[in-house]
Amino acid sequence: MKIVKLPKEKLAEFLSCLRAFGEIHAPTKRGEKSHVFAPLKEPAGIELDYTRTILPLKKYFLPPMETMFNFQAEKGYETPAEESDKKYIIFGVHPCDIHSLKILDLVFGGKYVDGHYFSRRSKAAIIGLDCIPDEFCFCRSTGTDFVDDGFDLFLSDIEDSYLVRVGTSLGDDMVKAADTLFQEVTVQDREKYKKKSIQRGQSFQSEIQLQDLPEIMDLEYESQIWQELGEECLGCGTCSMVCPTCYCYAVFDELNLDAASGQRIRRWDSCLFKDYALVAGGHNFRAQRSSRVKNRYFHKQRGFVSQYGRPSCVGCGRCKEYCPAGVDIIEVVNKLRSETRV
Amino acid sequence: MDKPKVGIYGLTGCAGDQLVILNCEDELLDLVGSLDIKSFSMAASGADDQCQLDIAFVEGTVVQPDEEKLLKDIRQRAKLLVAIGTCAVWGGVTAMKNEVDPKKFIEQVYGPAGKVFEVIPPQPLSSFVKVDLSLPGCPIEKEQLLRGVASLLHGDLPKLPNYAVCTECKMAEYPCILVEKGLPCLGPITVAGCGARCPSYGLTCNGCRGPVDDINVASEINILKEKGFTWVDIQNRLRTFAAPAPPLNLQTLEEAKNA
Ligand code: SF4
Ligand code: SF4
Ligand code: SF4
Ligand code: SF4
Repeated sequence: MKIVKLPKEKLAEFLSCLRAFGEIHAPTKRGEKSHVFAPLKEPAGIELDYTRTILPLKKYFLPPMETMFNFQAEKGYETPAEESDKKYIIFGVHPCDIHSLKILDLVFGGKYVDGHYFSRRSKAAIIGLDCIPDEFCFCRSTGTDFVDDGFDLFLSDIEDSYLVRVGTSLGDDMVKAADTLFQEVTVQDREKYKKKSIQRGQSFQSEIQLQDLPEIMDLEYESQIWQELGEECLGCGTCSMVCPTCYCYAVFDELNLDAASGQRIRRWDSCLFKDYALVAGGHNFRAQRSSRVKNRYFHKQRGFVSQYGRPSCVGCGRCKEYCPAGVDIIEVVNKLRSETRV
Repeated sequence: MDKPKVGIYGLTGCAGDQLVILNCEDELLDLVGSLDIKSFSMAASGADDQCQLDIAFVEGTVVQPDEEKLLKDIRQRAKLLVAIGTCAVWGGVTAMKNEVDPKKFIEQVYGPAGKVFEVIPPQPLSSFVKVDLSLPGCPIEKEQLLRGVASLLHGDLPKLPNYAVCTECKMAEYPCILVEKGLPCLGPITVAGCGARCPSYGLTCNGCRGPVDDINVASEINILKEKGFTWVDIQNRLRTFAAPAPPLNLQTLEEAKNA
């Protein structure tokens, strides 16, 4: 893989060059402590010193709500006015979020390819950025703290510069378009990178053990822990909305006032919602909150493993940081594993 | 198909929900074009209050025996009855102090003059009649009203969100003021539909849309207690808009607090 160096003082200039490749979206501040990916107007608005954004990148490819098509009694179906061919660049994406995209690509690219998802996905370039974990991150445990692919460029901070890994030919074009800004990697840079890598590895404060977790979960299917969790959890849906790999959606029709035309909508859904497993006739397969929370954990850490060979959780820490009730995935897993409980 | 005959009525409330109907500026012509409005005293005189109705929209709380009579009459004349606004759906702010005898309030507010009218403890419509569709909100959301009418015209009930305000708050990517600032947001127990209007301005959700289905009030109480709010504050906050809702009655709250 080609690796070049970009001095930090050249970043703003590089961002200007990148505009030729599409609209730049980057982490920006929202509220007092939060960050979101948003269109970057001024290079100065970029907040590269962020840990996580409220919503992950799924919002770009599977928006919270979208019109799939319009319908009309006489005319039939009509896809909404062709989305523009505008390309965009998502800049500053951390490894866990890149991994989450790889997972979403798998899910939406399965036997029945999701055209809505991929029409947007194919227009976005991903520029990664490394990070220092906070107390909520446990991506080292989920094996998502580093990426080998899934990006066009990936920037690693080495104090005064970034080492830039080139992941795709598009990434290479970007580097070439800003040729004069880049430098060759020196021996000192290499040493700095290795030192940083060790430091980063040592700064993880949270971990979970994933090995044999699916088996433990099967054994603990009837555990009291799920009841307790159901009492703590508000069913508010936050963890699902902010999770980069919660991809469930609901599809329904909205009618216009003529009662003869309308839109087919798809909107984020969650297994935590009361109606999620409600079927015709009024039966609800998961009427209890405890069974719904349990389902979320089982799908992430158990069901997904059977289907795709790895858990879908990428250890981003969003569900823990944003849960109003302080439900902590690490604590749940540790409780499930703990032998002292009878 | 004949246009459905519709009546729009207000009991005790602020008339804010009826105002939302009038405020549907862009859609107002389509709306009145698709309905045969027989009675809407707030907007037009000459109401026909005897005719049979396809749909009746009723705002407000029942606080007088006369209103109970009126509501029952409307129910009898209407094929479908839609409660509009949190007052009609849950009792609203008028019902927040139902544990106190209303006669006491009458005396305090009107003095001897208050004796001229009779009051009963304020109640939502569903305490007296069957309600076919509830559109909560203080006031209702225009979008939900229009979707609701469109569905009714088509012969269905609309599919309303059955999840918490937090869900919409996160869909819109607003920072969480409960987590970030420790403010007493009721988003986790309040039914969505407003697009997390208050958190969008950095303000807490005060629960104006009423409780979400399967509300976990005990956990919300715990969170607020941990953030340092007093039991009185918490109770008052929880009971501002939907005190008659079963999960928010005083005894249930006491039990939830001690759980
Ligand atoms: S964010 Fe917390 S309280 Fe809300 S649904 Fe998830 S676990 Fe439950
Ligand atoms: S389950 Fe939690 S930590 Fe895991 S990917 Fe989802 S939000 Fe991140
Ligand atoms: S600000 Fe309120 S509504 Fe929004 S996520 Fe936090 S608790 Fe929920
Ligand atoms: S955020 Fe809460 S208080 Fe504000 S409009 Fe919505 S339901 Fe009402």
